[in-house]
Amino acid sequence: MNNLLIVTGFDFKESIRAKWFLLYIIVFGGAVILLFTLGITESKVMGFTGLSRLLITYIQLCVAVLPILILISTVRSVVGDREANVLEYFLSMPISLGSYFWGKILSKFMLVFLPIFGALAAAVIWGFLKNLSIPWSIAGFYSLLLGTLAWCFLGMGMLISTLVKKQEWGLGLSILIWLALLLFIDVILIGLMMQHKIIEAVIISVALLNPIMVFRTGAVLLFDPELTSIGPSAYVILDHLGYSGFLAYSILYPLGLGWLFAFFGFFRFKRGDLI
Amino acid sequence: MIKINNLHKRFGKISVLDGIDIDINAGDRIALIGQNGAGKTTLIRVILGQYLCEGEVTVLGKSPRRDRVEILNKIGFVPQLPPPIQMTVEELISFSANVSANTKRDDIYQKASDLGLDAVENNKKQFQKLSGGMKQKLLIALALAKNPEILIMDEPAANLDPQGRQAFFLQLIHSLEGTTMLLSSHRIDEVINLINRIVEMDYGKIVQDDRIDLSVFADKLLECNIVFVKPNQTAAKILHDWNFDMINGGMEFQGRFIGAERLKFLTTISRFANQIQKLNIH
Repeated sequence: MNNLLIVTGFDFKESIRAKWFLLYIIVFGGAVILLFTLGITESKVMGFTGLSRLLITYIQLCVAVLPILILISTVRSVVGDREANVLEYFLSMPISLGSYFWGKILSKFMLVFLPIFGALAAAVIWGFLKNLSIPWSIAGFYSLLLGTLAWCFLGMGMLISTLVKKQEWGLGLSILIWLALLLFIDVILIGLMMQHKIIEAVIISVALLNPIMVFRTGAVLLFDPELTSIGPSAYVILDHLGYSGFLAYSILYPLGLGWLFAFFGFFRFKRGDLI
Repeated sequence: MIKINNLHKRFGKISVLDGIDIDINAGDRIALIGQNGAGKTTLIRVILGQYLCEGEVTVLGKSPRRDRVEILNKIGFVPQLPPPIQMTVEELISFSANVSANTKRDDIYQKASDLGLDAVENNKKQFQKLSGGMKQKLLIALALAKNPEILIMDEPAANLDPQGRQAFFLQLIHSLEGTTMLLSSHRIDEVINLINRIVEMDYGKIVQDDRIDLSVFADKLLECNIVFVKPNQTAAKILHDWNFDMINGGMEFQGRFIGAERLKFLTTISRFANQIQKLNIH
């Protein structure tokens, strides 16, 4: 346990010095500042105004950018260390493979989640100072959704990192997966599938298996319980699972998927040549 | 200490280690030599538990993979290439001291100082931004401060200047008398006076395994005097790097080095053999 925390601390310190982290902070911190500066809380789009409007915009940003940023930063973890000879040196120290692997994941989770949570918290504080009504339960659930989405893609990134032999392959694979998942969100391919009268169960399954789609639907559901503002398959899903059911699913599914990916990645890491 | 029976390692269709059998006993100081691709680094990685393999490998009576944490607490390792670590010297020292059961921070600073590196002064510098020699000294200090039962070093002196190398060899000779050593090197002259056994590898096999007498001069300081037939600027520069004093207008040089460096020194100046009038080492 002690070594796990030492590795977590080490990886955290190493990562905050990396350029990708600076980019990450700029994207999410900068986005929130930009949203404030543009006075987005004053506008009314998709039926929302005030802080809810800002959070809805933040969701759209997270849906598009968060998964790929997490994948790009995580996918290099093991394979990058391996290529740079860092892994050879650190695994010559008395650190268990579990401490190394889970320490890395824990550190990356903090690195990924803290800035987006910080930006969200800043939005809430700003709304509080501006005397806007604060949707506390929404902000809480939304943080949870962001955390589980981050965990899901962290697990996926670590798995890819243990599977590939070169960083370039990992980055290529990550972009491919991200594009495929983005294509299969409600408004694009699923809408097309509905137009072509593909069986409803297939469409729902595709939608429910896609963690980005699940996050997006779950997040919008917080603001719009009828899901009037997003695409057609979301209605069907809502009909099947109900408000609370889908909200629970949108938290538990990415969480479980992240753990599954992470365990599989650890298994793969432990059972093969380490470097 | 280390027992290896019928060890095979393949990467895809390529056989990198092909039926290695070797027993390494307590007190053995082995130079593991061979050309690039001979399998030296792969063998080291198997011993460190980093590669899976066919055959039987035990280190201190245990499996290097299954019992890796316990074993690695007793092994000091210096890699050939310093890893590009972003953390500062202070953080790296703390990290190493925290994860290793037998390492104290003060010992690391002391070992670094003995090797000619003021780690305290460089505490806030990023490890990656140190010079090649400084990085190597720190990595050696981290390995030595563990008081390891087994010391494994991959080309340990490659990046060191002559003074750093002398200090490093003295450290090895004095402080690690009971330590089993495995030194991988391209050049036998680098390590000949430190070792009592030579293992040569070629194409994944051990082709030579000889015991030699440990030099009685290894840790002795040798006085040396060289007289050239005429001044030679290249020789003067090299001897200056070895801390030799120039006398007699560049015709004569005087200095000292430790016995462990004798072959290295003679190899270095051998290119000036035709211009050396007199050479005394005593």
